[in-house]
Amino acid sequence: MNVSNRKIIRRLSIASFKAAKIRNIITVAAIALTTVLFTVIFTVGMSMKYGFEQSNFRMVGGYSHGGFKYLTKEQFEELKTDPLIKEYGKRIFCGMPEKEPFQKSHVEVSYCDANTAKWMFVEPKEGRLPKEGTNEAATDLRVLSLLGVEPVIGNEFTMTFMVDGEETTETFTLCGYWDYDEITVANHVLIPESRTQEIFEKLGTQGKDGMTSFWNMDVMFKNASHIEENLDTILARHGYQSEGLDQGDNYIHTGVNWGYMSAQFEDSLDISTILALIAVMLLIIFTGYLIIYNIFQISVSNDVRFYGLLKTIGTTGRQIKRIISMQAFLLSALGIPVGLAVGYGVGVLMTGVVVSQLNGIVLTYSVSPIIFLGAAAFSFVTVWLSCRKPRTMAAKISPVEAVRYTEGAGTKKKSRKGEKGASIFRMAMANLGRNKSKTVITVISMSFAVVILNITFILANGFDMDKYLKHVITDFIIADASYFQTGSPEPTSFPEESVSQIEALDGVKGGRTYQKTFAAQELVTEEWVRKLNGKYNSPEMVDRYVEMLEKVGDLRAERVQLYGMEDFVLDKLPVIEGDLSKLKEGGNYVAAVCVTDDYGNLHEDSHWAKLGDKVTIRYVEEYEYYNPETGEIYGADEDLSDKRWQDRAKVYEDKVYEVAALVEVPGMISYRYYGADEFVMGADTFIRDSGTSDILYYAFDCEDDKVEQVEQWMQDFAGGDNSLYDYESRKTEEEEFDSFRRMFTMVGSGAALIVGMVGILNFLNAILTGIMARKREFVVLQSVGMTGKQLNRMLITEGMVFAGSSVVITLILTIVMGPLASDVLEGMFWFFSYHLTVTPILAVAPVFLLLGAVIPIISYHYVIKRSVVERLREAE
Amino acid sequence: MSILVTHDLKKVYGSGESEVHALAGVNFQVEKGEFVAVVGTSGSGKSTLLHMLGGLDRPTSGSVTVDGKEIFTLKDEELTIFRRRKIGFVFQNYNLVPVLNVYENILLPVQLDGGSPDQGYIKEIIETLGLASKLNNLPNNLSGGQQQRVAIARALASKPAIILADEPTGNLDSRTSQDVLSLLKVTGQKFLQTIVMITHNEAIAQMADRVIRIEDGRIA
Repeated sequence: MNVSNRKIIRRLSIASFKAAKIRNIITVAAIALTTVLFTVIFTVGMSMKYGFEQSNFRMVGGYSHGGFKYLTKEQFEELKTDPLIKEYGKRIFCGMPEKEPFQKSHVEVSYCDANTAKWMFVEPKEGRLPKEGTNEAATDLRVLSLLGVEPVIGNEFTMTFMVDGEETTETFTLCGYWDYDEITVANHVLIPESRTQEIFEKLGTQGKDGMTSFWNMDVMFKNASHIEENLDTILARHGYQSEGLDQGDNYIHTGVNWGYMSAQFEDSLDISTILALIAVMLLIIFTGYLIIYNIFQISVSNDVRFYGLLKTIGTTGRQIKRIISMQAFLLSALGIPVGLAVGYGVGVLMTGVVVSQLNGIVLTYSVSPIIFLGAAAFSFVTVWLSCRKPRTMAAKISPVEAVRYTEGAGTKKKSRKGEKGASIFRMAMANLGRNKSKTVITVISMSFAVVILNITFILANGFDMDKYLKHVITDFIIADASYFQTGSPEPTSFPEESVSQIEALDGVKGGRTYQKTFAAQELVTEEWVRKLNGKYNSPEMVDRYVEMLEKVGDLRAERVQLYGMEDFVLDKLPVIEGDLSKLKEGGNYVAAVCVTDDYGNLHEDSHWAKLGDKVTIRYVEEYEYYNPETGEIYGADEDLSDKRWQDRAKVYEDKVYEVAALVEVPGMISYRYYGADEFVMGADTFIRDSGTSDILYYAFDCEDDKVEQVEQWMQDFAGGDNSLYDYESRKTEEEEFDSFRRMFTMVGSGAALIVGMVGILNFLNAILTGIMARKREFVVLQSVGMTGKQLNRMLITEGMVFAGSSVVITLILTIVMGPLASDVLEGMFWFFSYHLTVTPILAVAPVFLLLGAVIPIISYHYVIKRSVVERLREAE
Repeated sequence: MSILVTHDLKKVYGSGESEVHALAGVNFQVEKGEFVAVVGTSGSGKSTLLHMLGGLDRPTSGSVTVDGKEIFTLKDEELTIFRRRKIGFVFQNYNLVPVLNVYENILLPVQLDGGSPDQGYIKEIIETLGLASKLNNLPNNLSGGQQQRVAIARALASKPAIILADEPTGNLDSRTSQDVLSLLKVTGQKFLQTIVMITHNEAIAQMADRVIRIEDGRIA
């Protein structure tokens, strides 16, 4: 095809494009809506990915790519010049406070330059970083609040902290502070480099711990790929290595920021999430396809004469395809940008809604170009797919048929039965049959929105509060705040005085659970140890692990987690087998804890113990350390850091218990941490044998009319950010459930709304084009005596049949597919109960029928009014 | 030399009981520069014949040779290209592209072929047909006679081997018919064109060099 030929094709394309104004408006709107859907998905997805990364960085404590640790000044100066390093930051670790009020906090006193401070999220929001040669310091609001110092620049504060094993007390002047970030593990106090040197000199610090007084270099490379390789390359260039001290004393410790390991995010995307994502994308493509295809299909059908004419004068099929492709391009160029802009706005809103339901992801909005490129690409693919068939259809039009084509004239049907004569209804039905594909696709497109709406409704309604709250087995549970953070194997004991305070409240009845997770062992077979640990570890690791365990006869001493529960809590336990009365009476009885999934199904073999088995629990008072090769026993104060050692119980007491029951410990009152076999004992037995009475939590119920009061009391007592304690209540769980349900309703209704707009647009297009194509026919009908009223009635009937069919199809789909969907949904959400509902369909039906009546009438009058003027011109 | 030859041309529509022999073996030849009229009543098969001659539709059997090329050996796309180079059409309902102006309509077949128009020749056609003042008009703003003159200009523009005219005056009043027909004949002579015209109007047919009558799909 040569250039001048392209020019006329473009001219034809643009000329016929301009002639189809209404079609263009509708198509641009359809493309824009499709793009909105894609952009929302991309915005939410990318924002969550970005948020996830940011959360990782904050957890890690920084976003530098990596770093070299514990350098001498000379090494630092040497490495920083390496060309691979784009930017570097300097940090000198000075010390850490250990005593009051920091016994529970991780606080680091150090010097950081501006780069490091920025990368570690410790840039002052008020004030600035400390100046050299002063006694200034900057820190976060949490440290200040623990010290009891008002966050006012210029205030003085004094801290006692350990520097390489030596204690020192220093006074600083506050020069800047920032907000404390709960996700970040460490708090920081930043001081000038000069001050660190003063402290080191004063204390004669040598850096015995290998950290203090050494220089650290955080680095940024050109990008985040190959961080580890880059670090090693730099070391190699200067004659260092990071393999280990045993490889020579040119060893330098390196660190890679694992927040950058992109695998982190991909790992969290399991296969079902990916499948769900693909399904949603396909649904959107399908939604877009239904309307864009329909528009092009109708447009080509109505323009058959035009394309046939072009064919007659010698336009080839390929040229006709190009004409249509160019129009698709033009329409995309108009619709996609609008969709991207609107979609991004909606996406930002949706991200807020979704992220608020997820733990561990900070709310951030990604502005990545991938959002826009990706959404635009998907939209364009949808448009391209949609106009493929109509394009081929236009290209294949035979020039002869073209000369006399009107909609539906090409059908094979030779005659129709007509004994009853013409009636308005029969005419309307016949009209819908003219372009069957148009009718069918329009109906599907409209049904689609209602199906989505109905599914949303079924979902939101099916989220079963009772099922969800099944694991909420007591009205309240209170414990040390760390208990509620996952991954805290031994939370601080909840104080007895606080229990007494709660017990004194009106209408409260509850019980304690005591904890022991360390220095308690069970004697079990090696086979069981292997089975228990084999699930998550490699065979080599299991071998090594088993070797570490002390052998007692044929058995091995494996760690065990024990609960000592008062009767109130015991009564809450779901019993799988046996009964708990023996535990309450005292005596040497335990219950073995089995594991179930969210649906309450017992995991086979989740505990070795069967009813009536005997179990030996070993309470260890003192361990001894020995060399596994020589058998040499090390002294209690000996430094073991460069020796091989194993431990075994030296002073201990073995007790034998009988398994009286198999129980489940629901998540709410468990250790919330899976690490070892677990047994439940009665509180008295537990205290008698274990010698501890550390309270894991206090759980209690409350009389219904006192709930509000008690909730308020708990809120005051344990609700604040500064409280050492935390609590959960039925009410907070209910609120969580409600907001989860709200999220679904919002996301689902949003989707249904947009898809609904697409459906209605499709309907509008079908009606409008149907009327325009039949303008002349209407004149004929009226000339043979059809009144305007009858014509209107015919058109309304057509519209109502469209709308009515959509409603009927949706009803049938819902009723037939419902039971199928229910299995899938109940599999996805354990707290879901399927209830068939068609309320949304019935609610939407009148709206649809109204539209079915109104749209044809408006369209008809629009067309007629226009054609008064145009008819004169359309002498053709 | 014959520019157009048909050999035993047959076209059957439908099958079984409803079988219709629109063309039942048509043989004739047209010499270069001839103006031939094909006359027949409604349903005689004359439109079908024209579709075959122009390669718009394929025959059930038989062949059509235009300018030495047997056209139905060509594939659809090739046939289309052949058509725009060798055959000019003039239809009863003009069939102008409504979104293009007069000048663009005239140039369309040439441009579709990727050729650059012979400006002098095009100008001559336009002047001969009296369209010079209408070049920027859209077809809808022209009278029937004017539209048909545009169609004739378009048919001539690509210097085809033959011009096929299907009831070119069917939509025109008798005076305009005379004008258009005279123009068709004059331009045909002036530009050495071969013209095959289909009509049911005996009076109009008499303006041709030769008249071929067709009845029930056969040459009478």
